[in-house]
Amino acid sequence: MLVLDIVSSILLMTGIFFGFSGAVGLFRFPDFFTRVHAASITDSIAVILIIAGLLLQTSFDLNTAKLMFILMFLMITSPTASHALAKSARHGGLLTLGESKQQQKQQKEQMQQQEAGQ
Amino acid sequence: MHLGLWVVVLSLFWLLLSGYMQPMLLSFGAISVLLVVLVIKRMANVDQELKQVDFRLSIFRYLPWLLKEIMSSSFHVTKLIWSSPKDLSPTLAKISLKNIPKEKRVLYANSITLTPGTLSLDINKHEITVHALEAASVDELNEGAMERKIAGLWPKKGEEK
Amino acid sequence: MTAVLAAVCIAILVIMALALTRAMKAPTVYDRILGVNMFGTKTVLFIAVVGYLMGRPEFLDIAIVYALINFIGMVAVLRYFEYTAPID
Repeated sequence: MLVLDIVSSILLMTGIFFGFSGAVGLFRFPDFFTRVHAASITDSIAVILIIAGLLLQTSFDLNTAKLMFILMFLMITSPTASHALAKSARHGGLLTLGESKQQQKQQKEQMQQQEAGQ
Repeated sequence: MHLGLWVVVLSLFWLLLSGYMQPMLLSFGAISVLLVVLVIKRMANVDQELKQVDFRLSIFRYLPWLLKEIMSSSFHVTKLIWSSPKDLSPTLAKISLKNIPKEKRVLYANSITLTPGTLSLDINKHEITVHALEAASVDELNEGAMERKIAGLWPKKGEEK
Repeated sequence: MTAVLAAVCIAILVIMALALTRAMKAPTVYDRILGVNMFGTKTVLFIAVVGYLMGRPEFLDIAIVYALINFIGMVAVLRYFEYTAPID
């Protein structure tokens, strides 16, 4: 019993660490699309580890099945939600980091040309 | 055939949520399953979607592999977060879909999104647009380990051995 | 074990606070939605862990319902914003 508790604590703590890293990534990454990657850590590995930690606390009854269902449901919906989010951002006209840099460069060149023309 | 499958799935779902075995509650469950199946039957005439649900056991060979991929790429992205988020090289790339059977494209796109570091932005008949945190992960996808895994586990119809 | 579960609860609350901060203070509307989505997923985990902390695993039912509502809500909001969101 003790061994199970220790393993479950380790799983929970690792999950928390990954979740926290993802939350910090939300603030540290430079643009929207990279921030989605940071959030996807908390959506995938943190969820897997925390639910695995809780699974070891159950005594293999209905609650185990419920936890498995939550895990399965989150594993299906969270990538779908991130995909929908990224797609609507793309359709809304948000540019990725490389593209916006390119656009700035072009604008700068145009400005310089205009100045040279004057 | 597929209505029968729905009855089984919905009944299991009811049992999962309730967990009681008294005759009254079970009959309530039966009534709600019946109602939902009626609605599904009416809806099936409206939309003309692909209705096959594929319950092959290959998924149990795919999931451990996916878990391993998620683990390794999570470590990688976490390292990126804590070290130097300013010098990333985010890239957009198009990944070809021609080797993936039609029913498995959702699984492929979702697996790409589920592994941290790659994100599927858009999907059409021939290719997926992928946004990756680093150019290396796009190369990895183009190399096609995940593609081969899915195409190997679910061969296209007509090519089954 | 109770101590570990309590610590995990507090840590998840901290993560939720970070996500909510992002949702309130972000450059684009999509960043806000991202923060709210993360807040939702963490809430599901939080409810599950609290259930085990209090010794009442029935909380898992609430977690399931919350997961369902969270997903539906996300998709609804995104459908609305797909073509109408202002970028600034």
